[in-house]
Amino acid sequence: MSLLEVEDLHTHFIARGLDNRIRTARALNGVSFALEAGRTLGLVGETGAGKSLTALSIMGLLRAPARIVAGAIRFEGRDLVGASEDELNALRGGSIALIVQSPRTSLDPLTRVGDQLIAVHRAHRQVDAAAARERAIAMLASVGIPDPARRMNAWPHELSGGMAQRILIAMALINEPRLLIADEPTTGLDVTVQAQVLDLLRRLVREKGIGAIVITHDLGVVAHYCDDVAVMYAGSIVESGSVRAVFGDPRHPYTRNLIASTPEKLQVDRGRRPAVPPPNLYALPDGCHYRDRCPDAAELCAQAPPWIAVGDPGHCARCHFASRQGTAA
Amino acid sequence: MSGAAESARIALPASGGALAHVIGVARRSPTFVIGAAIILAFAALAVFHPWLMPHDPVRAFPTQVLHAPDAQFWFGTDSNGMDVFSRVIYGAIYAFAIAAPVVVIGMAIGVPIGLFTGYRGGWLDEIVMRFFDALRVFPSIILALAVVAAAGPSLLNVILVLGILDSPVYARVVRAEVLALRANAYVESAVAAGNPTWRILFVHLMPNALQGAMAQSAVRAAWAVRISATLAFLGVGIQPPTPEWGAMIRQGAEYMVTGQWWVGIFPGAALIALVLGLNMLGDGLQDLLDPRRKAATR
Amino acid sequence: MSAPILQVDGLVKHFPTARKGQVVHAVNDVSFAIRAGETVGMVGESGSGKSTIGRAVLRLLEPTSGSIHFQGRDIAHLPERALRPLRADMQIVFQDPWAALNPRLRARDLIEEPLLLHTDLDKVARRSRAAGLADRVHLSDALLDRYPAELSGGQLQRVCIARAIATNPKLIVFDEPTSSLDLSVRAGILELLHELRTETGAAMLFITHDLGTVKLISDRVLVLYLGRIVEEAPTGAIFERGAHPYTQALMSAHLPPDPSVRLRRHVLEGEIPSPIGLPPGCGFASRCPLAVERCRTLSPPLEALGPSHRAACLRIAEGANRLDAATPA
Repeated sequence: MSLLEVEDLHTHFIARGLDNRIRTARALNGVSFALEAGRTLGLVGETGAGKSLTALSIMGLLRAPARIVAGAIRFEGRDLVGASEDELNALRGGSIALIVQSPRTSLDPLTRVGDQLIAVHRAHRQVDAAAARERAIAMLASVGIPDPARRMNAWPHELSGGMAQRILIAMALINEPRLLIADEPTTGLDVTVQAQVLDLLRRLVREKGIGAIVITHDLGVVAHYCDDVAVMYAGSIVESGSVRAVFGDPRHPYTRNLIASTPEKLQVDRGRRPAVPPPNLYALPDGCHYRDRCPDAAELCAQAPPWIAVGDPGHCARCHFASRQGTAA
Repeated sequence: MSGAAESARIALPASGGALAHVIGVARRSPTFVIGAAIILAFAALAVFHPWLMPHDPVRAFPTQVLHAPDAQFWFGTDSNGMDVFSRVIYGAIYAFAIAAPVVVIGMAIGVPIGLFTGYRGGWLDEIVMRFFDALRVFPSIILALAVVAAAGPSLLNVILVLGILDSPVYARVVRAEVLALRANAYVESAVAAGNPTWRILFVHLMPNALQGAMAQSAVRAAWAVRISATLAFLGVGIQPPTPEWGAMIRQGAEYMVTGQWWVGIFPGAALIALVLGLNMLGDGLQDLLDPRRKAATR
Repeated sequence: MSAPILQVDGLVKHFPTARKGQVVHAVNDVSFAIRAGETVGMVGESGSGKSTIGRAVLRLLEPTSGSIHFQGRDIAHLPERALRPLRADMQIVFQDPWAALNPRLRARDLIEEPLLLHTDLDKVARRSRAAGLADRVHLSDALLDRYPAELSGGQLQRVCIARAIATNPKLIVFDEPTSSLDLSVRAGILELLHELRTETGAAMLFITHDLGTVKLISDRVLVLYLGRIVEEAPTGAIFERGAHPYTQALMSAHLPPDPSVRLRRHVLEGEIPSPIGLPPGCGFASRCPLAVERCRTLSPPLEALGPSHRAACLRIAEGANRLDAATPA
């Protein structure tokens, strides 16, 4: 049994427009993946691919008009889709922790940092205030905050971006979660600070054997900080596998395009890329969702492509032609 | 399992018909629809008054003074023997004839001031805004009363005075909007492109800053109707026997105690209904323009 | 060597803060020049002053002191009225294309605006020029009648670029033009910029925090830290032989999207100090592993290390400026 299994997850936005018609945005179209304890999975994709929505679906934090219409999310074998709000509350912040993108807005501006840490800890553990305080100080020390006992009294607005992100990491890990979801944990941080935060995150995850999902649009972060990668496009995972396999031999044309689009790999002299708008979730093409912008689309692509296992164990791609050796773009 | 997902799949919505849109608007803001309906009803009275009035609103029936409502005079007659029903209908014309130009004048003065002070900022902005604050401390009715009394109680004076007095409201709304817009890169981009100040104000800022002022205009029209009626009631505005609601209410107030309630009640009800309608329209407009506002007040 | 299009000398910009007497030292004595046809990359983290410099050279801000010679004329303190005609020759592309365009104007009118302001062309001529410009930025004709809300981020940025090149400017500042765009969209914009670089012959100042992008697009790189240029060199030299310890650390924090690349990391301690109470001496001394006592008191001058390579570090002279020698990689 894996730590986390997401199976054929469909999350839709269902809302009524001004013209009184129901509009459905198929934001997640059958997301499936599994995560083992002690491994770090990078979830990459562009805006609207469904990365953050996947995280929110797992955490049970969807708000109307978004809702899960089908699929299963099993955490340690328990299905979270049908779980009650009480059950989810017991898990969230306890066994499952979330680190979000904007560290500053995720802290309560009117409560001292230490009190927030203590509150999170005591919400899930039967400990007295003194023990919780000790634990909070130890956590601050473990995320590399100098003089942690004094920092307990800091207000959120006194913290720099990097410091705030460390506090959030401490808060996420204080209850020793078994699953950690980090949604763009370093976006907005400076490059030199990003390195510190990522190193810290990797060290803690490895030490505690936590299963982690890192959501990012930065392929560099995935390449150097994740064990496995899942590439998302228009609400589905189109390719997944070990980082080395997927980056070394990408089999889905979207993955190839993504890697070739990084400034490091970009061949600027090689021609004019048309300005394509992001996929329209209200009107995705049938069959392969990538077919309307795929350079290699064929007639077969009008049928939904299967998961095809390729080469390296665990490396799969959702493309009819995945078993062909990729011509790395 | 994917069956549920399959059934939730709904085709790309084409834009619905006009009726569907009306229903959509009604669903999002019933307030707007009710307000709009009330105002349309009054507008219909104003437009079709020649066919709706059973009598000439200023024709006196000397034998029928203070006649109670009956089949001939539905709302009765006043102390001059004039038909209250016809006068209430005709009063709608005055209400619109005052409200519309007051709003137009208020905007014509207030919007440019708000644009300029908001964009420029600095000491000029400070002075203008302090001056407006000082104006606001004064109840508007007292100011209006003083100025109209000094300038003379004509319809034109009432309109001009109310329009000018109300311009700070638009200036403030537009200024606040401009302050928010200024942080937007497109204003800086307009400067970088070499736009002269007037183009930045009127081409780039005004169309984007007008939304709040537009939503305010209905509420301010209600204010204009109310204040002009109050002025007439106090005797400094439009004078009887002009069929204006405020003047009619003033006339009717004298007879309230003696039992001829119909002289004042009907114009009063018309006034309340129109002011209510305009306020609802303004409120609904803001709900429609900014759906978050409604969600937040729920 | 031709005279530079832009020559900045001793540029200083202070901003007042809410507290009386306190100033933000955003830019501190910055000097550089850009020649026609040259693309200069300006990299730095938050608080480095890079955006402030970009705005000051176009006089969207008035500098506190220093001179800005644009085509030989000092524009540092010209009034807006006198600047307006010059704006035809100097343009800017902003970071966030969603915010940079007036939402009430159609794409066509937005592209025509600079022509309306700076040329005598009539309506018909402007229209055909706008169509030509759209073609140059690879924006299809059908999109020109749309409002900004109906265009995607990549398309909007192309409208911004078309606006910027409409009057054939001599200098274009790009302020993080690709930072808010998705990877594949960013690739298209970078390809376009590469094309325009050679086509227009304009001098370009390319501001970014993304090292991959700056490597791809610039001939020369200025590295900024706390409002000062710490190093200036041809792009290759900056990435391979950065002399300033900060340059070395910054380059080493870069994560290429390739797991097979071995990182040689120099992770810096701490964060960028506040530009409000600037410490004396070298701005980087508080985080520099190589800092010695005099680094905290003496402000290092920008000294030539070779042709077109300058750096500001006291330890270069004694050959003690290499991070790899000091810390194990």
